[in-house]
Amino acid sequence: MFEQLVDGVFWNIALIVFFVGVIWRLITVLVLRSKRIDYSVARNSGVSGAVMANIRGFYPRKEVSARIRLQVIAGYMFHLGLFVLLFFAAPHVKFIAQHITGFTYMTIPYWGFIVASEIAFAGLILLWVHRVLNPVTRLISKRSDHIGTILVFVVMLTGCMALGEASSELRVLHRFSVELLMVYFPFSALMHAFMFIPSRAFTGAFLGRRGVNV
Amino acid sequence: MTGIKDKKSARMRKAVYCCVLSLLFVLVAPLIPYVIDAHAEDVTSSKANKPVALQHPGINLWNDVRQRNEVTQGSSQVIGVDSGILINKTGEDWRRFRMQMLMPYGAYFMAATITTIVLFFLLRGKLRLPGGRSGELLCRFSLNQRTAHWFAVGVFWLLGITGLILLYGRFVLIPLLGADGFSITASACKEMHNLIGPLFLLAVLALLVLYIKDNFFNRDDITWITKGGGMFGGHVSAGRFNAGEKTWFWLVMIFGFLLCITGLVLDFSVFGQGREIMALSHVIHGISALILITVSFGHIYLGTIGVEGTLEGMTTGYVDASWAKSHHDFWYEEMSATVEEQQGIKKDVASSSTKPASSPAGD
Repeated sequence: MFEQLVDGVFWNIALIVFFVGVIWRLITVLVLRSKRIDYSVARNSGVSGAVMANIRGFYPRKEVSARIRLQVIAGYMFHLGLFVLLFFAAPHVKFIAQHITGFTYMTIPYWGFIVASEIAFAGLILLWVHRVLNPVTRLISKRSDHIGTILVFVVMLTGCMALGEASSELRVLHRFSVELLMVYFPFSALMHAFMFIPSRAFTGAFLGRRGVNV
Repeated sequence: MTGIKDKKSARMRKAVYCCVLSLLFVLVAPLIPYVIDAHAEDVTSSKANKPVALQHPGINLWNDVRQRNEVTQGSSQVIGVDSGILINKTGEDWRRFRMQMLMPYGAYFMAATITTIVLFFLLRGKLRLPGGRSGELLCRFSLNQRTAHWFAVGVFWLLGITGLILLYGRFVLIPLLGADGFSITASACKEMHNLIGPLFLLAVLALLVLYIKDNFFNRDDITWITKGGGMFGGHVSAGRFNAGEKTWFWLVMIFGFLLCITGLVLDFSVFGQGREIMALSHVIHGISALILITVSFGHIYLGTIGVEGTLEGMTTGYVDASWAKSHHDFWYEEMSATVEEQQGIKKDVASSSTKPASSPAGD
């Protein structure tokens, strides 16, 4: 019964909430921002500022690089590991082909899957421990940040538990946790997965137009 | 006269001896062939009573299968390590060790440790700070040190719980979950244990790099050990880490690396390691894990409810000065000296920066 719900109704609801929520959030931000008119005289191109800000955001500034080394390394470990797992692990590619795209594409070998999992796990645990221990990040973290982190961790952990494909219960548990994450995603800071490029672009364009060297 | 008598008696004696010897010879000589015959009969009869070694037609086959005489490699269409061996003798040894030694003695070890800790807590209670808190804080652990510690804690307990379920689950969880429930749990734990396992190597390496500096033993540690670390009263001096903490650090390093190496041997069985190496690795892995888990109970107790003011050193990074004075007084003195030195430098800088303003008048 529960298995049928998870594979059927829950999945459909999660998919709708996720896509509608994400699109709604993106439209809201883009429309609101585009209504603001900047009357200042442009000293430089806003486009180049937007592009530069996006590139610049991928590596830390020299002044703070030593202080945030752990966040940067762990951040890349987690995000790259999760990206590879999510889009190139064989069971995920098969699932995406069956339920979303209808076609398959290249997958990583099993050892690559394991390495990516290790890297993603290490990155996520380090980032969360750092978030809790650092007084500054602890202070600026909201409950939703912790919920998002825990949900992602649970999804990864249940995925790891289902790796042996020993029983359908473990697969259902993983899928159910994914559905919970998908429903929570648009209403949380996890939206940064879609927002980081436009938000960097807006800031870069704003500063670039005023002649700030981004 | 006497000479003739002596000669006669001597002749008589000789004659008697000769007669006795002749009699003995006559009596014994005919028996010799019987003795020889009887001995020969004994030998043949003893041979006749022994069981005849009639070989079972399949005995050679079964000796080879069970690898009793020597390890023999057969041939198989299956390509793989040990695929030509039907029954691995070391597998039975390993199974017996796991069931009869590792599991019961590991359980006794853990139970005895927990009981000792509970009894100690009931008798001694929480060790309070003498004189209360001072309000003055000292930085004990950097952010990186704390991050490495809690990362190791997370990974260690994920692995510890899943490992204990794999070791003792059939006795504890089958009555609770049933066979099917335990099967699913064990499968989940095995996958989790195998996947998270390599992260422990990262954790141990991080702990080694960040904590090794102050964890070498010195003479003060001998005094600390002989006085029982002050757990039964009295003050014992210590540096940044006392002998107990140093012992825990080196236990984590030694058994942690053993766990990692044997874990990797067990985890990645694609590098040609046979069952014997796997069984040996499992034995070392199990013993090391049980030692670390058991000793960690004491570490957790002392770090949390056992000693007031200890946990905050690892959560906030700062400890109260009175805690430092009472448990790590040498380190407290070092820190105080450093602070005084820094304050002295600050005063020097401040006075030198004010000099130019006053110097023109002076000049």
